[in-house]
Amino acid sequence: MPKILLVEDNEMNRDMLSRRLQRRGYEVMIAVDGQQGVAMAQSQIPDLILMDMSLPLIDGWEATRTLKAAAETKDIPVIALTAHAMSTDRDKAIEAGCDDYDTKPIELPRLLGKMQALIGVKPG
Amino acid sequence: MNTTKPFVEDIETYAQDIVDTVREPLLMLDTHLRVQSANRAFYETFHVSALETEDQLIYQLGNGQWDIAALRTLLEDVIPTSSVFNDFELEHTFPIIGRRVMLLNGRKLRAGSHSEIIVLAMEDVTERRQAEADFRAIETYAQDIVDTVREPLLILDTTLRVQSGNRAFYHTFKVSPEETENRLIYELGNGQWDIPALRTLLEDIVPKSSVFNDFELEHDFPDLGRRVMLLNARKLQAGHHGALLVLAMEDVTERRRVEEAVAKAKEASEMANRTKSLFLANMSHELRTPLNAIVGYSEMLQEEAVDQKLDSFSTDLEKINLSGRQLLALINDILDLSKIEAGKMELYIEHFNLSGLIDEVAATIGPMVEKNSNTLHIEVAKNLDGMRGDQVKVRQALYNLLSNAAKFTHEGTITLKAEKEMMDDTDWVVFRITDTGIGLSPEKIVKLFQDFTQADASTTRKFGGTGLGLALTRRFCQMMGGDVTVSSTPGVGSTFTIKLPAIVHETKLELPMDAAVKESTTVVTGLDRSTDPTPAPGTCVLVIDDDPTQRDIMRRFLSKEGFCIRSADSGEEGLRLAHELLPIAITLDVMMPDMDGWAVLKALKADSILKKVPVVMLTMVDDPERGFTLGAADYVTKPVNRRRLSRILKKYSCSNPPCPVLVVEDDEETRASMRKMLELQGCRVTEAENGEVALESIKQQRPTLIFLDLMMPVMDGFTLVEQIRQHASWRSIPIVVVTAADLTSEQRRRLNGYVEAILHKEGHTKEDLMRQVRDALDNCSVPRLQIA
Repeated sequence: MPKILLVEDNEMNRDMLSRRLQRRGYEVMIAVDGQQGVAMAQSQIPDLILMDMSLPLIDGWEATRTLKAAAETKDIPVIALTAHAMSTDRDKAIEAGCDDYDTKPIELPRLLGKMQALIGVKPG
Repeated sequence: MNTTKPFVEDIETYAQDIVDTVREPLLMLDTHLRVQSANRAFYETFHVSALETEDQLIYQLGNGQWDIAALRTLLEDVIPTSSVFNDFELEHTFPIIGRRVMLLNGRKLRAGSHSEIIVLAMEDVTERRQAEADFRAIETYAQDIVDTVREPLLILDTTLRVQSGNRAFYHTFKVSPEETENRLIYELGNGQWDIPALRTLLEDIVPKSSVFNDFELEHDFPDLGRRVMLLNARKLQAGHHGALLVLAMEDVTERRRVEEAVAKAKEASEMANRTKSLFLANMSHELRTPLNAIVGYSEMLQEEAVDQKLDSFSTDLEKINLSGRQLLALINDILDLSKIEAGKMELYIEHFNLSGLIDEVAATIGPMVEKNSNTLHIEVAKNLDGMRGDQVKVRQALYNLLSNAAKFTHEGTITLKAEKEMMDDTDWVVFRITDTGIGLSPEKIVKLFQDFTQADASTTRKFGGTGLGLALTRRFCQMMGGDVTVSSTPGVGSTFTIKLPAIVHETKLELPMDAAVKESTTVVTGLDRSTDPTPAPGTCVLVIDDDPTQRDIMRRFLSKEGFCIRSADSGEEGLRLAHELLPIAITLDVMMPDMDGWAVLKALKADSILKKVPVVMLTMVDDPERGFTLGAADYVTKPVNRRRLSRILKKYSCSNPPCPVLVVEDDEETRASMRKMLELQGCRVTEAENGEVALESIKQQRPTLIFLDLMMPVMDGFTLVEQIRQHASWRSIPIVVVTAADLTSEQRRRLNGYVEAILHKEGHTKEDLMRQVRDALDNCSVPRLQIA
């Protein structure tokens, strides 16, 4: 079962996305800010990280840079979740080291496609 | 007494010597006014001799030149009663020396044994009087200027005492010259000018710099109240007046007040705009967050309902989800439009796969299509792989057009066709969305793309929606250098066509431009400046379009094609310019605020002079009928096919049709056979046997097309081509080279880009050549007479 770390401060978004991913057979771990996200990524080593960009304490770009700079976490794929059609946010996400991005509101089939492309497996 | 006589003679000689030394003419008269003697100066001045003068009556001198009424009065009335007169001014035209002003002084003397004599001294003051008159005129002139100036002026001497003020000064400060002149400036008007800042200025700054500009002085004047004055000063050296200081005061109180008000209003409006933007950004965020939850949870619940076979829940949840999505899309549209309006909308250019994008859009639109029992056909051409552009905006444009089609069609078919087309040497991606829905009348189409406007209000009630989608779609496409056009038949259906460059560039202004045009930009843009001299009537193409980007694009490529371009940004301005320029043709945008293209076309066609000017309509309605009914000569759709437009315009670039085709050929026989061939095609033909004759002929009358032989005496075809291309207004004449020889690559290079086609005289049958000539005429849109 692929382990997904969802870093998201908005409670409803977190709840929805985690439940929908769980229904599709992913194991979902939650972090509510950038600092916790980095800590959990280091301790849990998930298969993939879904990273909101506007986060408290450390924002998503900074958190991604930290993870991509550390040897033990640099190989974990990160998908940035950015606001509607903000091209600058997307560019910044790719610059920070994100492997892909998706825009909110989440279109689940599209996001699942991107996740599968990065971790290469379809969850059972 | 022997000694007395010589003594007296000595004295007389001595007196005569003195008299002769005097530089002013003197006359000694006896009491009968007969000349006793004159001095040397007299003889020299009046060009007479002693012989002609002495013993004569003064009035007889020099053919009566002294017989002057005023002098008679003087000598006969004044002298006998008084023994002296001074400075009698006599103005008289003398025969030899011309008009003179003489100052006469007279003394009655008794000189020893002589009887009484009158000494008449005459001083020629003509030049002095003239100089004085000139000087007075200059002073008056200067004073007139000073008085005419509307701003108050004070003329001060170096001690800051007022020499004079001008009328405006007395008027503005309500003082009289008597209260002003010869007073210190600080004493004027009860000391109202005794202002510390002015003291500093006049006493510290002026002595050092002799000039100051725009010194702003704010002061409470007793009579005027608080005023802001702009002071300017110059130190002048004014002849005998010595150094003067001219102090000009401009009352800018009102101007400053207006400026302040404008600045405040501007700040307020900027503030309001910032507030609005912030409000929009916040609102959209605040609206989106709960909407995301509604959309997300309803979708999630719907999935669970399906899993748990709760069918009735499932359809209701789908409705919630769909409504949530619609609301979300709407909010995004409003936000996008406000971004475009603020100029903040950016393009995010990336390469993307088109079939993937189309599949995605089709999947999203699926439920809407099914809702009205429509079927969706998708046809993607094989040559279509990807494009470079803003993926999000292309997707949104397609989604908007498809959702409109789905909304206005019931139990019908919606087709999305995507293919690649070539236009002006560029690849374009073309999407055609065709429906079998209610269709649109041309009147409705005009309103269609305007923000917040649906075809009509009843549509809104019947079908819902805000009318934002189409306006946004069009703006998106224009941002990417493309556009949307529509053709529609009410009751049958509509086709909306999106054309986008396959490679979208970041800066939209340069989109359809190629390198050559960019290079010529500086030259070309100069053509549109209002400071440029007005071109001669009948030489320009007038572009009427409210969109500055479109005007710029048109101006650039039409200039490159050799047309002289003038542009207008509104229908009203267009009509005004049309009268002024009498253009050879007008390109007219249909969609303009205030006065739309149809109204302009009507006005043009109702004008007895302008109705003959051909009008090419630029429209997004791919249906020429309306334009032709109103009298349009032709129409093109946006994005403009440059080559097509250029061809259309070239057709009209001769002011007196049918304009001739010029055949330049040295061989008489060939020339005659070309003429015959062309006349058979209905052309009017002029001939030239070499390049030089051809140039003369073009000067006389601009041909619509040139058939050109290359090898000719005097001036060959290559040189002629170069000459023609150097001439801005000839550059657009198409040239077809007709040659017997195979061209070397060097020769081809010389002609490259300058000629329409190269035809070979030999190795072809006559019919073959005829066909080629006909093609050339067709391609170049040469106007011809109909040959039965």
